[in-house]
Parts: sequence; structure tokens; C-alpha cells
Amino acid sequence: MNLAKKMKASRGMGQVITVTIGLIILCIVFGILNPNFFSGRNAGNLFRQIAPILLIGVGQSYVLITGNIDLSIGSLVGMSCMVSATLMTKGMNPWMAVLLTLFSCLLVGLANGLLVAKLKLPPFIATLGTMTIARGIAQIVNNNYNTDSIGEKAEGFRNFFYYGKSFGLYNTIWIALVLWVIFNFILSKTRTGRHIYAIGSNLEAAKLSGVDIVGTTVKAFLVSSICACTVGLIICATSGMGTMDAGNGYELYAVAASVIGGVSTLGGQGNILGTIIGAAIWGVLQNGLQFVGAPVAIRNIVIGIIVIVSVLLDVIVRSGKFHNKAIKV
Amino acid sequence: MNKDLIFTKGVKMQEKLVEIRNINKSFPGVKALVDVSLDLYKGEVLALLGENGAGKSTLMKILSGVYQKDSGSIKVYGKEVEEMTAKRARELGIAIIHQELNMCSHLSVAENIFLGREKLKSGLLSDNEMKRETEKILKRFQMDIDPDTIVGDLSVSKQQMVEIAKALSTQAKILIMDEPTSALTSKEINELFSVIKQLKAEGCGIVYISHRLEELSHIVDRVTILRDGQYIKSMDFASTTLPEIITYMVGRELKEKFPRVESKRGKTILEVNHLNAGKMVKDVSFQLREGEIVGVAGLMGAGRTEMTRAVFGVDSKDSGEIILDGEQVLIHKPKDAIKAGIVLAPEDRKRDGLCTKLSVKENISLPNLDLLCNLLGVVSRSRENGMVSKTIKSLKIKLPEDTVKAESLSGGNQQKVVVGKWLARNSRVVIFDEPTRGIDVAAKVEIYNIMNELKQQGVGVLFISSEMPEVMGISDRILVMCDGRITGELDTKDATGDIILSYATKFDKKLEDGNRESQEWRQV
Repeated sequence: MNLAKKMKASRGMGQVITVTIGLIILCIVFGILNPNFFSGRNAGNLFRQIAPILLIGVGQSYVLITGNIDLSIGSLVGMSCMVSATLMTKGMNPWMAVLLTLFSCLLVGLANGLLVAKLKLPPFIATLGTMTIARGIAQIVNNNYNTDSIGEKAEGFRNFFYYGKSFGLYNTIWIALVLWVIFNFILSKTRTGRHIYAIGSNLEAAKLSGVDIVGTTVKAFLVSSICACTVGLIICATSGMGTMDAGNGYELYAVAASVIGGVSTLGGQGNILGTIIGAAIWGVLQNGLQFVGAPVAIRNIVIGIIVIVSVLLDVIVRSGKFHNKAIKV
Repeated sequence: MNKDLIFTKGVKMQEKLVEIRNINKSFPGVKALVDVSLDLYKGEVLALLGENGAGKSTLMKILSGVYQKDSGSIKVYGKEVEEMTAKRARELGIAIIHQELNMCSHLSVAENIFLGREKLKSGLLSDNEMKRETEKILKRFQMDIDPDTIVGDLSVSKQQMVEIAKALSTQAKILIMDEPTSALTSKEINELFSVIKQLKAEGCGIVYISHRLEELSHIVDRVTILRDGQYIKSMDFASTTLPEIITYMVGRELKEKFPRVESKRGKTILEVNHLNAGKMVKDVSFQLREGEIVGVAGLMGAGRTEMTRAVFGVDSKDSGEIILDGEQVLIHKPKDAIKAGIVLAPEDRKRDGLCTKLSVKENISLPNLDLLCNLLGVVSRSRENGMVSKTIKSLKIKLPEDTVKAESLSGGNQQKVVVGKWLARNSRVVIFDEPTRGIDVAAKVEIYNIMNELKQQGVGVLFISSEMPEVMGISDRILVMCDGRITGELDTKDATGDIILSYATKFDKKLEDGNRESQEWRQV
């Protein structure tokens, strides 16, 4: 099998290569603007900045590949952060709190999946609803206040999710990598993964082939909620307290990481290797612009433009392709 | 009742695979099936025939578990099946090849064939095994397709072959083929027929739905005919004739397959000079006169559709001029063409012709809103209703009310909507691209009549078709295209199949070069 074909068969690897080149160029540009960009310390920070975006990007990618979208990711991050912090400040064992938090996030993911696949709500509306609800929960668990410090007892928790290091890398980075490996494996090697692509590509065909539409959609939303939950825990561990507006706007960062990495918003196409690159581009832009002294507002504008341009490129490439095919028919 | 169901003459009294009795099914506003019965025996091909909307596809969707019956009974291998679901049907060995392509276009051939029943090795996908199996299936039925190809990159006819291979790979005993040949080339049709014969010999029962009655003689043993959702008759194919079958299908005798009217040809309306567009339209020039139907023949991929798209302004033109009523018109987008009076009823109804989620009424009024609204852009409901009901009446579109969604109509009625939305305007040139694909005989005749009527009104009609008999039967003049060029022009009375074919294969060497599949003329 020749290389070109192999690339084609691997669901949009072409875009992964294009954006990787883009990423390298970005790094070089920021390196020239400020040589400290490449310092070991900044690299460590950069990776730690990228990790949460990678995680929510993986979650969003799963949902996008099924042809849906998850807008509740950002609120779920906030909910996870507040629920875990509140439980810990109330004296609960941190690991017990983590389990309960995960459980509550999975419930929201389950609700998303059922609303979309079983009750057939448009995903945009369904997750817009759960997004508002999850943010409300984040606000109500501690009576509309951010929590106090999660305290000494939670040092182990903070070490695990934030400042500890293993094999020379921050734990945060390891967590993201391990989850990525697991979810990449599921997506590319298991039946569930195959079905996720199938329902995003052609729901009707998948249904007629006996694919469990509801089950598969729910699984994709569960992955998304697991990722969001983990990010919430990381933020809680980072600041040592619960903040109600944690994760604000993350759902869109997640879409950005996915889409820049070649995941199609129309479903059926993309892979989460691309999401790594997408998250890295997001992180390098944030970090690099910060380094050269650009204010937050400018960073937001730049990232917005990058998202639009990358989707636009994708649409142009794709429409060219399908146009030719239409003619062949 | 069903007396003639039990008779068997040509076929040996065989094991009954399927026995359907008194099935009823309603959809909102439509009674799709009323007391319909059907038998399928081991080792036979049963043609299920009827006009569009007769209920053939609905019945087969019930048998394969896509729809649920309202009442009636289904016995498979002599056992009553209470609730037929897609899963249950698969377990029983019932496979269906749907009329619409149902493939995941982003997945590979092998992935599609094994979708929903993937081969696993210790819980993980075993892609190599699935690939090997796919190769075996494709080889067994002599299909030249690489299992790694992404389905969306295949031509429609290859996709159809994959769909067929998918159904065959399930080792089904009961196979339902709903219009399997509508997108195939004649070579592929022959391949399919030899596959069907092979399956028959292996004891499969096959229900075969097709509008191409001419095909039936190659494979069919018995026919069952439905009309308007009701069971009409079952017959031995050997003991009947096509005209008899058509009479039962239509409920009356169909006088002429290709009705022809004469009208006076007037002055030239449309003149296309040296049109070039992309790779598929090269130096195309032709003229169209008032009151004539010009047929455009050619093989699939000859550039006919591309030519119409360029004329209508969908695709951009590289060079060339379009002269309408003696004046050059600049057409950059469809809106320009519509304004000038050139309209197009495109080839792919569902993709290009209709907003399937909108109602029939909205579809018909969509291109005519400029005529229906006042200065402020407010659409006049009464004018809209008037226009729509006039169109529906004059085209005899069958529907409960004009607010039903276009997707719920049968193929023939959908095609009439596609045509109908242009008739409300007084267009000068109407282009029909494959208007009769996948619709039944009677609906075809109605489409021909619409073209004839336009012709008599002095409209110029450009009629693209891949079916030689209808091109010769309906057109006044025939243009033949090959490899993006017009390679022949002839008067219908001088036209024979051989002449057209020789023009259509003028650059045959090109066709054989590796990139393009060699497409054959459909003579079926």
C-alpha cells in the first residue's frame, strides 16, 4: 500500500501534517521574538498549559466525530472544580471527593448523550441547556461563593494533579498523556471507536447496520465529561480552592483544539493525534503572545482568527474534493 | 382472497422462505399498505413491481425491520415473527440493499462491509481479518475494488457494488434488492446478474425491485404487483408479457411508451458558443430552437452534467458565450440564468433538486418568491397558494396536502416537484438532467408529456439522458458528447443506437486510460 493511500485511510492525517508544520513555524517565530521562549522553564510551563486544553480537546473531538457538539464542557470543568473543592473543605477525604465529583460529571455526560441520541434534541440546544445547569450547580454547591483553601489534608491531591513531577515531567502532563493514550486506543482500535466514526459519517447507514446509536453517542459524551471533570480537578489542585467561573469558555477552546487538529465539525472525520497538535498550537499562541507582552484581549482575537481560518481551509479543501466527485457522478 | 398466491407453475413447489399476509401500514396522512400479501420461495427471484408510491419499498422495509407493521403477519421459514426489528431481521438472514446509498462515506470499503458486526480479536478490531474477508467477498463476485479505499472516493456505481457486497457478506438467505441497478453500468449489471444466478443456485430467495422492466427477463422467476398500496396479482414471469405487467401496474393500458408530439420549430432561442469549463467541458457549441427537444446523449462521465451546470452558472466558465434570443447574456450564477429565462432540473433530486426537509409548497415557491412577494419582500400567501395548487394540479403530483415534506414523496412525485418549481415562470429554456432516473414507467410518460407540453408552448428543451431509447423516442435532435466535447449531432429520424454509440465512444482510448473507469453504454 503506498503512502498517500495510507494517509488517506487514516482519517485526515493530511491536516495533522499541515498543522504540525504550522506549529513548528509558530515556535520558531516566538523563539526569534523572545529567545527565552525555548528555555527549559518556559517549556515546562507551556506543556502544563497545554495539558488541560488537550484533555477537553480530546473530549470535544469524540463528540464532534459523532457529528454532535458538547457545549457543556466549560461549565462541567467549573462544576468539577467547585464540587470537589467544596467536598474537601467540608472535610471529606480528597480521593473520595474526586470519586463523587467524577460521578456527578458522568451524570451530566449521560444526560447529554440521552438528550441527543434518545430524545433527539439538537446537540447544540441540549448541551446549551446542560451547560447552564452545570454552571448553576457550580454556583450553588457553596452558596454562590468561591470556596476557601482546600487545606493541608489535600496536599496529596494537589501533588497528584498539579505540582508533583514524575520522570521529570509535571504530573498534569502525565495525566493528560495517559488519558490521551487510552482514548486514542479506544477510538482507533475498538468497536466502539469504529461506531463513533460511523454514526458521525452517516447516522442512517450506521443504524441500518445494527450500530447501537444511543449507546455509542452516550459513550462519546461520557468521554467528554470524564475529560472535563479531570480538567476541573486540575484547576482545583492548581489554585488550591474552588472557583465558580473555572473553565469559562473552555468549550470553545476545546472546539478550537479539535478543529485546528483536523476534526470535522460535520462528523465522521479526524483523529485525536491532530487534537494534540491543535491544543499545542493554542498553547503556544497563548504562551508566546503572553511572552511578547500581548494583552489577553489580543490573544483571544488571534485565537479566534486562527480557528476561523483553519475551519475555512478545511471547508475549502473539502468542498474542492466533493465538488470534483459531484461532477464525476 | 389471495388465491393466486398459492399457485406455482414454473417454479417447483419449494420451501417457503417468507410468507407475508394482510400487512397494513399507515403514515401520517397516507395509507401506504392495505392488506398486502407476498410469498418468497427458496431459490427464486421474485420481482416486486408497481409504480412509484405503490408501497414496494415500504413493504420491504417492514420485512427488513426498518419500519414496523400496523397489522398483519410475517412468517419467516414457516415461523411467525411477532416483532420484526433490524436486528431480528439480520439474525433471520434477511438482508436489504436500500434504494438510497447507505454508506459511511468517510470509512473504508472493508469498514463499511463489516460495520455493526466487526471482527474482533481479544476485544479489539481485527482490521487485517476484515480486510482479508472483504477481499474474498469482492473476489468471489468479481468486483474490482480495493478494500482500503474510502467509500466517499468511489464512483456511485462502485459504491452500489460495495453496498451489494455488504448484503452478500452477511450470508443472507433472503435478499431484498431495491433498485440495485439504477446507478450501475451495463458491465456491472451483468456482473450483478451472474451473482444473482449464483445465489439462486445456492438456495437464496431474492426480492428484486426495479423500474427497468426490460431487465427482468434475465433473472426473474415470478412477479408480484402492487398498486396504490394494494396487492394486485402474482404471476409466473414465463406466462406473462411486459405489456400485461404494465397494465396491472398502471391499472390501465399505457398507450405509448414514448409519446411524441410535433410542433413547429421556430427561431433559435439559445446559442452556446465555444464553451469551456474545467476539465469536463471543452469547446462546446450548439443551438436550441423554439419548440424543440434536443437530447444530449453520451456515456456516464462524458461531461453532459458539467455542461449544463456551466450553462446554468453553477460552475464557473473558462471561456465561451451564451446567446439568448440573439443577445449575449452573462451568467455567473444560477440567479442570472433564472432571470434570463434558463432553468435547470438537476440530476440528483435529493441533493440538488429539493430542500427535502421543506414542504412541497415551499419547494415549488422557492425559486419564484420574486414573483410572489410585494415591494417589501412580504410573500403573498394567496398568490403562493394559487401558484402551488396550479402546479400540483397540472403535473398531477400525488400528495395528501401541499404541506407535507418533500422527502416523504415517492421518487416520481419528487421529480415532478423538481420540474414543477420551474414551470410557474415563463422560462425560455428548460434543461432536464436525467429526469426519469429511478422512476416508474407511468411517471416517466408523465415527465415526457411535460416536456412535450413545454415544446408546444415554444420553449426550448434540453434533455440529458443515459437511456438511449428515451433519447431517441422523445428528442427532435440529438447531440452526443464524449470526453467533454460534442462529437456528433443528428436528427432523430437518422439516429440509430449504433451511430450514437460510435459518436459516444469517439475518444474511447481516453476512456480506457487507467484513471477513468471504462463506462459502457446502457443498452438495457
